[in-house]
Amino acid sequence: MSPVTRGPERPHLSFRTPSFRTLPYPEDKKDHMNNAPRTPHRPSGRAVAAGIAVAAMLALSACNANSRPAGEADAEPTAVQQGGTLRILTPSDAINWDPATSQNLAITTLGLVERRLTSWKTNPDGSTEVVPDLATDTGTPSDDGASWTFTLKDGLAFEDGTPVTSADVKYSVERSFAPELSGGLSYHKNLLKGADGYNGPYQGDELDSIETPDDKTLVFHLDSAYGDWPWIVSMPAFGAVPEAKDDIRTYTTQPVATGPYRVAETVEGTSVTLERNPEWDPSTDEARTAGPDSVVFELSQDETVVAQRLIADSGDDASAFGGSFVPPAQLAQVQQGPAQDRLVTSGPGALAYLAINTEAEGLDDVDVRRAVSLAVDKNAYRVAAGGEIAGDFATTLVTPGIPGREEYSNGVNDAAPEGDVERAESLLEEAGWSGRQLRLVVQDDAPTLARAQAVQQGLERAGLKVKIVPQADDVWTQTVTQGDGSGYDLTLSSWQPDFPSANGNIQPLFHSSQVGGGGYNLARYTSPEADDLIDRATQATDPDAAAALWVEADQLVLGDAPVVPLIYTKNSFLHGSKVENFRIPDFPAYPNYLQVSLAP
Amino acid sequence: MTFVRFLATRLATLAFVLLTVSFLTYAIFVLLPADPAQLACGRPCTPERLETARAYMGLDRSVVEQWWEFVRGVLTGRTFGSAGATVDCPRPCLGYSFAHNTPVTELIVGRIGVTASLAIGAAMLWLVLGVGAGAVAAVRRGTVLDRGLMVAAITGVSAPSYLVGLLGILLFGFTLDMVPVSGYVPFRDSPVDWAWHLVLPWSVLALLSAAVYTRLTRSQMLEELGAPYVRTARAKGITEERVVTRHALRNAAIPVVTLFALDLGALLGGAVITERVFSMPGLGALLMEAVGRTDVPLLVGVTVFTAAVVVVANLAVDVVHGVLDPRVRRGGRAR
Amino acid sequence: MSLDRSDELVATTASSATAGRTGLWRRLAHDRFALVGAVVVVAYALVALAAPLITRVLGVDPYTYDLDALGPTGAPAGPLGGISAEHWFGVEPLSGRDLFAIVVMGSRTSLLVGLGATVVSMVVGTVLGLVAGYFGGWVDWAVARLIDVLIGLPALVFMIAVGAVAPDWFPRLLLLVLVIGLFGWSSVARVVRSQTMALRASGFVRASQALGASHGHVLLRQVLPNLASTVVVFATISVPGAIGAEAALSFLGVGVPPPTPSWGRSIGDAVTWFAVDPVYLLFPGLALFGVTLAFNAFGDGLRDALDPRGGGSRRRRRRGGSR
Repeated sequence: MSPVTRGPERPHLSFRTPSFRTLPYPEDKKDHMNNAPRTPHRPSGRAVAAGIAVAAMLALSACNANSRPAGEADAEPTAVQQGGTLRILTPSDAINWDPATSQNLAITTLGLVERRLTSWKTNPDGSTEVVPDLATDTGTPSDDGASWTFTLKDGLAFEDGTPVTSADVKYSVERSFAPELSGGLSYHKNLLKGADGYNGPYQGDELDSIETPDDKTLVFHLDSAYGDWPWIVSMPAFGAVPEAKDDIRTYTTQPVATGPYRVAETVEGTSVTLERNPEWDPSTDEARTAGPDSVVFELSQDETVVAQRLIADSGDDASAFGGSFVPPAQLAQVQQGPAQDRLVTSGPGALAYLAINTEAEGLDDVDVRRAVSLAVDKNAYRVAAGGEIAGDFATTLVTPGIPGREEYSNGVNDAAPEGDVERAESLLEEAGWSGRQLRLVVQDDAPTLARAQAVQQGLERAGLKVKIVPQADDVWTQTVTQGDGSGYDLTLSSWQPDFPSANGNIQPLFHSSQVGGGGYNLARYTSPEADDLIDRATQATDPDAAAALWVEADQLVLGDAPVVPLIYTKNSFLHGSKVENFRIPDFPAYPNYLQVSLAP
Repeated sequence: MTFVRFLATRLATLAFVLLTVSFLTYAIFVLLPADPAQLACGRPCTPERLETARAYMGLDRSVVEQWWEFVRGVLTGRTFGSAGATVDCPRPCLGYSFAHNTPVTELIVGRIGVTASLAIGAAMLWLVLGVGAGAVAAVRRGTVLDRGLMVAAITGVSAPSYLVGLLGILLFGFTLDMVPVSGYVPFRDSPVDWAWHLVLPWSVLALLSAAVYTRLTRSQMLEELGAPYVRTARAKGITEERVVTRHALRNAAIPVVTLFALDLGALLGGAVITERVFSMPGLGALLMEAVGRTDVPLLVGVTVFTAAVVVVANLAVDVVHGVLDPRVRRGGRAR
Repeated sequence: MSLDRSDELVATTASSATAGRTGLWRRLAHDRFALVGAVVVVAYALVALAAPLITRVLGVDPYTYDLDALGPTGAPAGPLGGISAEHWFGVEPLSGRDLFAIVVMGSRTSLLVGLGATVVSMVVGTVLGLVAGYFGGWVDWAVARLIDVLIGLPALVFMIAVGAVAPDWFPRLLLLVLVIGLFGWSSVARVVRSQTMALRASGFVRASQALGASHGHVLLRQVLPNLASTVVVFATISVPGAIGAEAALSFLGVGVPPPTPSWGRSIGDAVTWFAVDPVYLLFPGLALFGVTLAFNAFGDGLRDALDPRGGGSRRRRRRGGSR
């Protein structure tokens, strides 16, 4: 129910020589579990990437194009027509436009109104690349990689005509430090020099690590070398906010636009209307096509109703698309009718998994965990998630399409999708399992509960007693990421790397530094051996050597069975018949709002 | 007891109830295991940031202190935040929603139109339908019409509103495409669209509630029609029509009107299920969303507001009765 | 809260109580609607009681998955929602669980919570009403304030909040019974109060007191028995509301947790599947509607039988917020 979502912590990584590797952005597990991205606020849990080719366009090939249904993103892009009113149907009840508190993805809502130093562009083949947005390029690092310089483009102006200067960008970053504006993406707060203890500009303090030698130049000084800085500056805080027009009370609903649209009208709880921003210069913007004349967000829409309306495609709904996942019931409904062509499914994105709390009583025994892994009925899980369209069965921790991924078998991970109940039972007996009841703590929305029940019935075939404990979203997050982990034995979650890199599949979920304190090591897995392997793989500069190390890490960790990989999820969205250029890139597995247009 | 004292007592009751309701709401929602500071914590959420968020939201104080701040805010307005970036919450400050970054009062004002449209429209409909059907059934007691209306009424009372609502959407909205299936259009924007989007929710709510009123009106009317004064009136030669409408119906209407005022009050507080079913962004939806996000200030503010509406409705009914019936005033209350 | 016409109820029940039992049963027997309602209620109760036996005998249960009965999208494979010799009511989408077993076992949840919550409401309401009406003064004032606060709270929201606050070792069914029950005692309390007040002033009670009977004796032996029929009628009328409240809470996702069967949750789920599998809604929907209708019909008949004037002024207070 909450539009404010959170993602996992990103690790700090040191600068690496330009290589083709990027650190994945862990997907916001909540969205995958709920099957309902609470866009527009949805963040995609940005993990700070490390070591990417700096100046290069990080055009990563679409390694997952194979699994997409026909009539989809691989088609030639349709010429962008201007005109029309695009409607976006969303369950959120409000849109938060304040860049300091937003956790939005670069290619969704906020990107329509607010530009940043860099942005993301989706190619027709599904690949995603970082492109310069307010800046002329994706940044120039100093020799030691600890300082980054950007130059603003010419001709940039706010919606009221005032030119955008480097001071505005600096101010936007500074205000994100104010306690009154906490709640947004905070990765830059750990990277900028001297940011500790800085509390924002409202009492007259400045952040010295951001230099503005002139109106068009920005220099960021970081604590240490950081190759992924171009990704960091695509986050909302790195846009431009004019100090003269800053009012923290009203900025959430009345931002000052730099993008192709400006906020024209907000009706509380009901709708937000955007109209064209005349000061936006399309020749300076390669990430956005701004086809529609106006965009209307219809708020507070129930997901089921959204899907049903789009299937019906009547009236204005033909120019609409859904900002939420299509629920399983409507997936079934769509697939039996003509609306199939308007269903867009992403490639395999996140890893959905069952986390086993390795610190819980009895579950610290690896044989018990192996038994759990064998008892799980992945087939039932997938059916509960919507059937085949929901994704493919998972056997490794690293998701398909990641360079260097290898399939392997350790006797447990590739058991039949229905599980191997006999082996599970005998393992439990040998291990002397106490037979106590296990608490499976999950978020309390219907799709998650359907999957939890599928897991429960699977485990109970082997004699494991499981009690499902539904919790509200915030409560669940607190139970599994904060505190001492005493509240749960099992939990369901999902994880997506933003870019093909094994690091993001493994480090945030299995490194011991990510246990508790907001981290997403839900299995509370601590293994010095694994930590060492992860650290070495992170430091490795040669891509092949690193890939080999990640495969080793994958095998090592999964051999300890702290989690049970279930499926590699695919997200499905619906759009009306007049909506064109509706594409879901491989990463992140959400539609690119910035490139959608309408047929005349 | 003079009327003034009567009124004063009732107002004191209002104050007492609101204070209690607000305290109970704070107590129970502060007890919720979720930490609202998580919302304002950002990503990554380190323990230090959590503490800062908590201090900013005032969560590091005790329940009683928080509640007291709230009460004072209602009367005098409040300020949040540090010098330089303060947030002003003008009175009556029903709290400040950190999730929305807006004072609760503003959120309520923004949404009351939806709830009021839904409630008042449906209420008018069901009053007319219910009382009309009940009166007809009473007058035609024992006939097929009476039986038929009573069967319809008992069916309406027994049907779950969400089920009927959802089926209505499926039938009239999707299958027949006669009415829009969800959403709200403000009256200002287009009165026609406003009404059109409300037709289905009004009908569902009205039909189901009318059933209760039909039954009540019928039983009240039957009593009145059997009373001695009606016999007298008939004996005096007054036409049946006037007997029914001018005398019996008027007297029968008193408890009906009482119930109506109370029901309307409750509905104005936000019909949670109806708003959810029809995707109406009203107060009920706001409440549910606040529960889901553990937005304690929003929860408390909206709960106090809805409690106030309900209590005021009760108060109004009391006052009207006090005016109409001197026995009530003298005896204190005719409970 | 203000004018309460239940004063008339006092007169009628007092008179009919003295009028004797035989009249009551005869009147009840003549009301076909009420009779049918009573029979249906008893049938539901029997099914609920025997549910585990029924499912065991028939070899079905509401927990076992049957993925073979589903198609590739998770919808039932066969026509009519998967109705077959094996699955009389069809299967549940996404899991293949037997709907007949779910409906039969779900009756336990609905009836248990409905009846349990009603009992709680009646007990609490009667006690408080008695005490307020008999002793008057500040006791009466306190109970009145309690009712005021109760009415002011948004019941549904609080039920959800309490559900979230409660530790999960606390049995969910009991929690639901308590929460729904404690939000529904105000109407019976008010009626009992006015009746008690009237009885307190009546002849035989005053005679008792004059003879030196203690308060307790008067309350238990003289006042309470005369309230019995009122309370019974109220109870019968309140049950459908309590059942409905449980279903509404389950529909909103805060009732009994899955996989325990619940009609409300099934109905909420079935509506989203209606376009693909309309049969899914049919049986749980009918079941819920049926039991509610039956209780209403029987309650009406009972009330009419107790008040031969064929009217009876009763103001129905719906269980908070289920609209």
